[in-house]
Parts: sequence; structure tokens; C-alpha cells
Amino acid sequence: MSKQAPGVRIDGLTVVYKTPAGELPAVRDVSLTLEPGSITGIVGESGSGKSTLALSLLNAVQPPGRISAGSVEIDGLGDVVGLGGEQLRKARGRHIGYVFQAAQNSLNPLKTVGKQLLDLGRSHGVDDLRGLVREAKELLGRMGLDGARVLDSHQHELSGGMRQRVGIMLALVLNAHVVVLDEPTTALDMITQANILKIVREVHAERGLTTLVITHDIGVVAEVADRLAVMYGGRLVEQGPTREVLGSPRHPYTRGLIKAIPRLVGDIDEARALPGRPPTLATVPKQGCVFRERCALRMDVCDDVDPEAVLQGTRTVACHAVTVKEHA
Amino acid sequence: MTVIARRLAGHLARGLVMILVVATISFFIVRSIPGDPVAANVQKLIEQGMAPQAAEQATRVLYGFQPKGTLWEQYVDYMGGLFTFDLGQSVTHAGAPVTDVLADAAKWTVLPVLAGTLLSFLVGIVMGVYAAIRRSGKLGDVLAISGSLLHGVPQYVLGLLLSAIFATLIPILPADGPVDILFEPGFNAGYIGSLVEHAVLPVATYALAAYGGWILAMKSSVVTVLGDDFILAAELRGMKRSIIFRYIARNAILPLFTILALSLGLLLGGAVFIERIFNYPGLGLLLIESITMRDYALMGGAFLIITVSIIVANIIADLFYSVIDPRVRSGEEVSA
Amino acid sequence: MTVLLEGSSTSAAMRRNFWAGVWRVMRRKPSRLVGAVLMAGFVFMGAFGPLFYPDPLPRDVNQLTRPPSWQHWLGTDDQGRDVVALVVTGSRYVLLAALVTAVITVVLGTGIGLFSGFKRGRWDTVLMRITDMKLTIPGLPLLLVLSTVWKFSSAVQMGLVLGLLSWGGVARAVRAQTLSLRERGFIEAARGLGLSTSHIVGKELLPSMAPYIAMNMLIAITGGVYSQVGLFFLGVLPYESNNWGQMLNTAVFRSGALTVPSALGFLIGPLLAILLLTLAIVLVVDAMDEIFNPRLREE
Repeated sequence: MSKQAPGVRIDGLTVVYKTPAGELPAVRDVSLTLEPGSITGIVGESGSGKSTLALSLLNAVQPPGRISAGSVEIDGLGDVVGLGGEQLRKARGRHIGYVFQAAQNSLNPLKTVGKQLLDLGRSHGVDDLRGLVREAKELLGRMGLDGARVLDSHQHELSGGMRQRVGIMLALVLNAHVVVLDEPTTALDMITQANILKIVREVHAERGLTTLVITHDIGVVAEVADRLAVMYGGRLVEQGPTREVLGSPRHPYTRGLIKAIPRLVGDIDEARALPGRPPTLATVPKQGCVFRERCALRMDVCDDVDPEAVLQGTRTVACHAVTVKEHA
Repeated sequence: MTVIARRLAGHLARGLVMILVVATISFFIVRSIPGDPVAANVQKLIEQGMAPQAAEQATRVLYGFQPKGTLWEQYVDYMGGLFTFDLGQSVTHAGAPVTDVLADAAKWTVLPVLAGTLLSFLVGIVMGVYAAIRRSGKLGDVLAISGSLLHGVPQYVLGLLLSAIFATLIPILPADGPVDILFEPGFNAGYIGSLVEHAVLPVATYALAAYGGWILAMKSSVVTVLGDDFILAAELRGMKRSIIFRYIARNAILPLFTILALSLGLLLGGAVFIERIFNYPGLGLLLIESITMRDYALMGGAFLIITVSIIVANIIADLFYSVIDPRVRSGEEVSA
Repeated sequence: MTVLLEGSSTSAAMRRNFWAGVWRVMRRKPSRLVGAVLMAGFVFMGAFGPLFYPDPLPRDVNQLTRPPSWQHWLGTDDQGRDVVALVVTGSRYVLLAALVTAVITVVLGTGIGLFSGFKRGRWDTVLMRITDMKLTIPGLPLLLVLSTVWKFSSAVQMGLVLGLLSWGGVARAVRAQTLSLRERGFIEAARGLGLSTSHIVGKELLPSMAPYIAMNMLIAITGGVYSQVGLFFLGVLPYESNNWGQMLNTAVFRSGALTVPSALGFLIGPLLAILLLTLAIVLVVDAMDEIFNPRLREE
């Protein structure tokens, strides 16, 4: 029904936040490619920089943060980091759709969804507003909602799952083909979660999207993502096809994460939480590996040298221990 | 609709209780004034040659309750009078009914205070938005501190300062009374011009005193809304700046409308100092005069009407809020 | 490492941090230091000011209602007394009454607010209804009406009446704070640890609200000053000792300060005192806000 899904290439992206202690990196030297038509999941604990990375895709890092290095190339749009002003504004919404966390109130509480849809249309110079409404109703209907009724509702009249679907509708209604979903299922009940994920998968396939899902929930990624990237302390520590990464994790952090998930069958004691706490902006090590404080495979070199992301077959891992083992 | 009806009923019930409380306070104060002015009045009339019966009747008309019987009987009589809008008569106004005297004074209070309130509201809102947007800069600091100071300083200090500057040091504006007595009252240019000229300082004082509150309230409201998720969401959807600004403004101003409606309740009683300073014959000045002249029926009436205006404003504010906020309209509890 | 540091921080270190915080806040906006100095000045003036002047103040019959001069910095009043001396000696009544007002406001307001928020249920409903009612009755008109039966002869009496009439706002605010602490599980947690009610209130709730209460007290002081000066200014109260409000009243309505420029100094004296006191308290409250409110600190 439309053009080819665009690819996204993030290269050497670094985002810093201005604090009293100077500029601290929240995302450091991250390179990631979103293949056209794929769903990529980014997993990390809170404070790992995953939300900052998501905002970078729209060049929308909020002050006191800023993108200090790197580029985000999107097919048909160019380097987003270089965009500004009206160009950037028009790219948001039209080329890249952003879906907020369901618990966040992403709608103006004083206006109906329909009126906000019209505001969106006017912002992007849509002439055929009737057509826009029709498209919105169709999308909402596709997601199992009564479009006319939803458009006539205020935010407080919608449930969490409905709000989330409205958010997806608003991200797609202008025909954006890159979609970022920030914690799409957090704060939703299990059944609604499953529903939303199903919708994400189906809509993704039907409309030919390139999708990025940000979450702290490995289950979500396992369900929808083709590729998986794991973030820790602002670094991308491992990425690759979802099945492979989950099936045989290489980075000690990924392994820890997967081990921490309790299984439905088997001994609950087997689930082991990672020792220690994830670093914050202020406590993340300035040099060396960001994960070493909690790492079982720590070596001397980890203290001084930040491991590079090394391509190993279909995936990339940033860990000295893993690299050494491969070469041994 | 039922939600609004239920809220209205609750307000009316509470308002009624308030009116009873205030009327009771007025009654007991008049009854406990040293020297018992009510009994003294009866005594005086008898000494002037009136029959005791007639003297009591005359006193009843004056104070709104009969001067004999137990305290309880007098109280019931007084309250009964209230419900027929009988507030007694004013001694200092040649026995005119208190309601008439109050109505006459009210216009001198309502118009300047209304003008001052609306003026300060408009200016305060605009400056509040600036103060919020520039909150980390010099301009924001200056606006916020000046707002705090104006908000903190009592009305009479501002009134006296303005009067000292513009009426005494540089005498360009009048500060005595509502109009020049030279002009014939009526619809003529001289009279109207004089009215406006005399209103400048009182209105300016009221506006200046209220402005601080508005700028502070608007600033904090805008700052709150700026941090709301839906503003970032609108930005990420590529909404136009002008539309986002409208979203911010409408959400930020909403709580202020309630305060505005509430502050209209102070229309009648909020200008006591200003009226005293500028010799403006409104309700505040009437209240002070009734106290210094020992005109107790008038005092009780003025106190009552000032309170009633506040109660009415509370009700209007609440109803107004239910009309403009869709969340209240549909009966959902909104946490403030 | 930071975990260790946090764990080993003693109360001494915390106190040091506190003063460091105070210093940082003061240095960030030096105007706040001015506020603190001004405030100290007013306390000194109220406590010791009258000792520097003879009682009664000398009258200079050749200099009645004079404009400011070298001899009398702010001029003289209608009895030939120095305005500066009047402001200083009059400050004791004003500040003492305001202090009494503030103490009663805060003690009553905190007590009722705490009780209401802690007990909840029926007590809460009743107390808050009363508070609402008190907040609805217009304060100044009520005071004016009351002045017909109550002669506020001493500063303490004046403070008492004002305090009894002005606890409503503090009660509401403290109740809200108590409820929010309760919502954060503060009280239930303490209960769970088996702590007594008096311990929870005295050792947990009050200290966490202390800065807030202190700020309210400062604001109540300004409120007390404004109300009583206003009452005397309106001229509905007889006065025994001279004070700022009575000075304003005499200046405006007897000496005609608003028509005769020579009486302006007489008017400016007390006005200046009130303005400076307001400035001092606004600045100090602003500083306290930043010291105790971590959200504002992160800028």
C-alpha cells in the first residue's frame, strides 16, 4: 500500500546531560541498525539510557541533555541529528511516529481525541481533514475500537489499553513508517498487554513499518522483536537476532538478565537476581567497562579499557571476556 | 447534570449555614456591646415622651428585633426578619432601610474592584507566562520577586504609596472621593470624566495589590503544565508551536479561572482600606462608618452582605469549573 | 563506594551539609543575605529599640509635622516627636503582637491539621468543615465587627485575637502534608514497627514538617503585622501605646499627609518599616524554600 519501509542507521551516537558535575553521558557511542521492515527491541533497566536513545531518533532529547556526537540516518529523511526548526517538526509525526508509555498521559485532557487529531492534521498541512478522520477511524477500528466514539472522547474517558491504541493511531495516521514505541505495555494488565503486542505485530506487517520497541521487559521483546539490543549504563552491550540472543546470551549482563527471569516450570530458586544496582548518570564509570562492578567475568583490562562492540557472526557483543574466549 | 445538581445542593446547604453563622455573630455582638445600645434606645425614646409600647416598636424597626423578651426570642425575631430581607434601619442615614443604604454603597465598591480585578488578572496572566518561560533567567527572577513583594505587601501600603506619590508629591490625580462635587451628576462628559479620573488611583491600587497573586499563580501553573507528558507528546507528534502554546495556555489558565471566580467574592468586602484611603463611599467605608458611628443595624447588614457575596462566589466558582473542565463535568474526581 | 559514604554519614555530617547548603543558597542569590540581616535588625529593634529612647519621647513644639531634615531624618509628627524614634519605639508593640499571632496561628493550625490528618474519619470531617467556614468568613470585616466589643488593649491580647482568627490556612496545609506523608506509607510503617502515636507525631511527622511550619510561621508574622497595623490605621480601635498603624492613621487622617507634603515623612516612616519587614521575610522564606525543598535545589 505504500513505499518501501525505511531503514535506520544509528552511528556512534552519544548523548550527554548537563549536571552540576559537568556533562555526563547517558548514551555513549551507540551504533545500531534498524533493518527496513524489522522490529527491533531495546532492553535495559531504568537509567540504562534506552529512553534517551529512543528520543534521539526524533532528535528530541530534552534539555539539559543534548546529542554531542554521532548520527541517526533515516532513509528518505537524512541525518535527523542535523535537522532543526520546521524541518525537524515536520519530520516528527510524518516520518517518525512516537508512541508514549500507556501510563503517561499523552493527550491534552481538555480536548477530545478527534479535536487533537485535527490539530495534528493542521500542524502537518493536511488538506483533506475528512480523509484524515476516515483514516483514523479505520486504524482505530482495525485495533478493535469504535472509531467514532473514541474520537468523540476525552482522555479520562478512555482506559489504559484504549489510550495506548489511540497513541498508536496518532503515531501512524500521518503515514509514518518509522515507529518508536516507548514501554508500550508498561502499566497495562496482562490481557491488554497481549492485545497491544498483537496489534503492534499486525499493524507493523500490514503497513510495512520499521519499528523500535523500548522496554525493560524481556518477555515483550521475545514476543514481537526480530532483533534484540541490550543496553547497560548507556552502552549497547549485545545485539543480534532475538532468538539467538535469548537462546545463547554471550554478554555476562544479558546472561544475568535472562537468568533473573523465573520460569513457569522448574525451581523458583533457579531465578537469580543480578547482584548490585544498575549505575546512574553520576555513578557510571568514566573509563573501562560499565558493567565490571557487577560482572562475574571481570578481568584487569576491564578497569581501564572500554570493550569495543565486536561483530561475531550475526551479533555484536561488547565484552573483553567474551572476545578473549572467542580468540583463544 | 446530576453531578452538578448534587454539588449545587451541597453548596447551597453550606452557604445557608454560613449565613446563619454570620447573622448569629452580628446579633450577639450587637447584644453584647457594652452599655446595651438597644435598651438605651428604648430608654431614650421614652424620655423623649414616647409611650413605652411605641418606643419598643420603633426600636424593633431600627434593629430588626424586638427589644424585650428573652435573648432567644430576640434572636428568633432577628433571624425571622432576615428571611424577609428586613435588616433594620440605619440610624445614621435618617432611618432609611439598611438594604437601601447597602445597595446604594455597593455600586461604588463593585465597579472599581471589578475593574481592578480584571485588569490585574489579564496583566498577571500574561506576565505569569513570561515568568514561567524565562524562569531561569534574569527577567524571570525580577518578575517573580516583584510578584512576591506585591503579593506580600498589604493593600493599604500600596494605596498610601500611590496616593502619596500621585496625589501629594506630583499632584496629577485626585484621591478624595468618587467624583468632583462641581459636576452635576448625570450623563455628561464632565461628570463621567471626573468619575473616571477619581477611579484611577483606587483601581490601580486594587490591581497592583492583586497582580502579584496572579503572576505567581500563573507562573506555577504554567511550569506544572510544561512538565506534563502531553506537551512533550504533542511536540513529538510534530504539532505546531502555536497549537502547543494553546494547549499549555488553556490547561494552565483553567485553575486560575476558579481563583478568579472566588476572588469576585471579595468584590464587596475587599476594598475596605482602599475606600478608606481614597474616601470612596463603598461598602467598606460604610462598614467602618457604621462602627465608628455606632450604627449597629447597618454594621450587621454590611457584614452579612459581604459574607453572602463570598458564599455566592464560591458556588459560582465551583459551577463554572464544572462547566469548563470536562473531567469534572463527567463526574470524575479530579485530584487538584 | 557512594553507598558506603551514604551509609556512614553521621548526624554531624548532616548538620555540616545543612550549613553548607545554607551557605550555597545564600551565595547563589546574595539578596537573601540581605533578607537575613534585615530580619535580625527587626528582632533587635523590637527587643532593644525602645531602650535607646526616653519614655515619653521628647516633644519639640517648634517643629510640628515637619518634613525630613538632618535633625529628624524622617521629620516629626503632629506633636513634634521624631518619626524615626516613633517607628523604633512603636515596633515593640507591633512585632510582639505579630509574634503572638504567629505562635498561636502555627500551634493551633499545626495541632488541628495534624489531628485531623492523623485521625481522619469523623473528626477530620467536622474539623475541616469548621476550618472551611472560618476561611469563608471574611477576616477583616469580622475583625472590624469584633472591635466594637473587644478592646485590644495590650499587644498580647491583640496577638491572641488575631491568632485565634487566622489558623485556618495553616490547618489545611498541615493536614494536607500529614495526609501525603500517610499516603507514602510513613505512618503505617511506623505503626508496623510498634511505635507509639506520640512518638510517630513527635519524632517522625513534626520534624519532617518543621521547615514547612517554620516558613508558615514567618508568613503568619507578616500577616499579624498587616492586620493589626491595618486595624489601627482604619481608626476603629482606641490605642494606648504608639505603634505603626496608629502613626499611619494620625498621619493620614489628622495631619493630612495625603494633601500636605510636609507630613509625608510621618507617613513614610511606618510604611518603610512595613516594606522592609515584608522584603526581609519574602527573601528569607525564598531562601528557606530552596534549602529545604530539594526539588528546587536541582537547577
